[in-house]
Amino acid sequence: MEKVKLTGAEIIWECLIREQVNVVFGYPGGAILPTYDALGKYSDKVHHVLTRHEQGATHMADGYARASGKVGVAMATSGPGAANMVTGLATAMMDSIPIVCITGQVPRPAIGSDAFQEMDISGAVIPVTKHSYLVMEIENLAKTIKEAFAIARSGRPGPVLVDIPKDLQAEEFDFVYPEEPILLPGENPVNTEINLKSLKEAASLIAKSKRPVILAGHGILLSGASTEVIELSEKGDIPLSWTLLGSGAVPASHHLNMGMMGMHGEFAANNAIQKADLLIACGMRFDDRVTGNTKTYSLDSKKIHIEIDPSEINKNVPVDVALIGDLKVVLTKLLPFLEQHKNSSWTNKIEDWRKESKSRDIINMDTEVLYGAQVISDIWKETNGDAIVVSDVGQHQMLEAQYYKHDEPNTLLTSGGLGTMGFSLPAAIGASFFNSDKDIWVIVGDGSIQMTITELATAVQENANIKIAIINNGYLGMVRQWQQLFYDSRYSETPISSPDYVKLSEAYGLSGFRVTSRSDIPNTIKEAQNIKGPVLIEFVVEQHDMVYPMVPAGADLDAMISRPVHEQFKDAEM
Amino acid sequence: MKQTLILFMQDEPGVLNRIASLVRRRNFNIDSIVAGRTEKNGITRMTLVVDEPNREKRRIIYNNLKKLVDVYDVVDATDENCHAREHALVKVSIKPNEFKEIEGLVAKGNCRILDGELDSMILELSGNESTVEESIKYLKKFKILELLRSGKMAMISGNQDKNNPVLIRSEPK
Repeated sequence: MEKVKLTGAEIIWECLIREQVNVVFGYPGGAILPTYDALGKYSDKVHHVLTRHEQGATHMADGYARASGKVGVAMATSGPGAANMVTGLATAMMDSIPIVCITGQVPRPAIGSDAFQEMDISGAVIPVTKHSYLVMEIENLAKTIKEAFAIARSGRPGPVLVDIPKDLQAEEFDFVYPEEPILLPGENPVNTEINLKSLKEAASLIAKSKRPVILAGHGILLSGASTEVIELSEKGDIPLSWTLLGSGAVPASHHLNMGMMGMHGEFAANNAIQKADLLIACGMRFDDRVTGNTKTYSLDSKKIHIEIDPSEINKNVPVDVALIGDLKVVLTKLLPFLEQHKNSSWTNKIEDWRKESKSRDIINMDTEVLYGAQVISDIWKETNGDAIVVSDVGQHQMLEAQYYKHDEPNTLLTSGGLGTMGFSLPAAIGASFFNSDKDIWVIVGDGSIQMTITELATAVQENANIKIAIINNGYLGMVRQWQQLFYDSRYSETPISSPDYVKLSEAYGLSGFRVTSRSDIPNTIKEAQNIKGPVLIEFVVEQHDMVYPMVPAGADLDAMISRPVHEQFKDAEM
Repeated sequence: MKQTLILFMQDEPGVLNRIASLVRRRNFNIDSIVAGRTEKNGITRMTLVVDEPNREKRRIIYNNLKKLVDVYDVVDATDENCHAREHALVKVSIKPNEFKEIEGLVAKGNCRILDGELDSMILELSGNESTVEESIKYLKKFKILELLRSGKMAMISGNQDKNNPVLIRSEPK
């Protein structure tokens, strides 16, 4: 290939374009100025979204990556700009999301001198990235960016940061794009051959099982293995339950889908897991929020763990058979070993448990009070279950998982592992840049929205087609719920005031609505859907509602607290 | 129970930082770290001793170290027939009439006299952990002015495939 004289800054954009990047979320500043200066030459190929905070940039890159399956890119300056990215990197790390963050650094001669806006960001983010780089020679720049993308998307995906000194961005270099493949030490082709003995062991456990359950995790989405998991479930007549990030991996409407597991999981799902004789964990990691007390977790079951990351095997829960590799590849090899099977008495029992919990469902309650669950259920109905929903962290997040029935993969974007409040608004803006014909709905609490509300300006500037549903209960609701249950109702610092969201919307330049009664929900949703661009709806809901069922932290998974039977239920036969 | 791990990694700035950070954030205790160049250009070898009694938990640190981009391979030497050596330098306050007592230690082969001033003596101890430990114990009869230990470095006996690291680079998939 021909050599071209380019600056470091131009090389950055050239490399991003080679990685098929067409949108970058970022915020300029001193140490990244040369790169922003060079952006003009590439603006026909790359759209830059000016965020209002660098944390927002990382969540946008993250939301874009979750919706599209591609690598998201965020950019910031040195020091405070880079430091603001740490939360977004940690969020992406915990949920295995591929993003690449590019940061400016002070010029090389100034590194180590406590220069203005200097911070060792590549060192600081070691614990929250798959890898990080500080580029010190221009010869290495293109190769490093190429490596960063390869690392971010390979194996178990994750975030990578590349820190680039300002003087290097300005340096000229005879540029040739490194076409040769990236070769790395840490990428030993481990276990590419799936052990035949383990496959047969797994198949025999499945054949013998009378009470099997599939645990469906985020790995199904990352691997694109929905079809294979459904086949496993149907072939073996195996009911399944999903983790929060596994929502949509298997259609909610599938007859073997029991719903979410764990702390706010379905009564039937948690019961089934505890009483199972076999668990087949597919791309999940036995997080404490899904196991409850590990000492009493599903004691009678054998466990098969299919997982791409060997360090997850036996980490939280000991397993009998581990199949390490990409889920789709492993299942494709496992399925031929399995025979059609029926577990009618088991699936009937689960059906009974499911009926039992329906009778306590708030959605079936005849009341004038507006509940968050009803809002979410109505959004589900009005969007025909076909929207991309970006939820934040708190009660509304759990209600979304319970009441928005996702039938398609990658349609719920939420911060599961880190539980980052403030994630949803920027992540939804990011997702809106993925060319999708689906509506994008943000479901967010009054606490969470106020953490990153500055990004409303970004949504307006970009005319992002997102609908923001604020579930306003005047409290940091999930914390309040814990205070009510475990801290004797001492609501320490959980009542929270809000601005007038309708006026705020007007000030920011977007349409804003307020809903205070249940009958107004559907029409307002319809109205919002008819507006192209960002819309905000505040739903003023019952202040003291709780998310049920609930397994207290560290309690046994089947020790669920159920919704008390209200007066309204007493006569109802359901 | 101590776990002895031998790491082979790319000689890159910050790699030590990454390993120390990983061990810390996974809540393990570092007993000792020794690292240096090897027979292969660009490859640093580290002996990392971690104090963790639980065998399953020890597997976690092994698997996580293997995930680091800069790390070629990790060999667990804990249950292998291996030679683990360490050095210590000890400065003792000593009187000329006590020199003889040091000579006894030197004769055993695990101690060398590096210098002898009128008021003190620097001794180099080497051997496996327990011989160094014993020598130090013996020297406690004098006044120890300074003491430092290098930490363990380990090499596994024989040339079995399972103990040989995979030192290849491959494409991320």
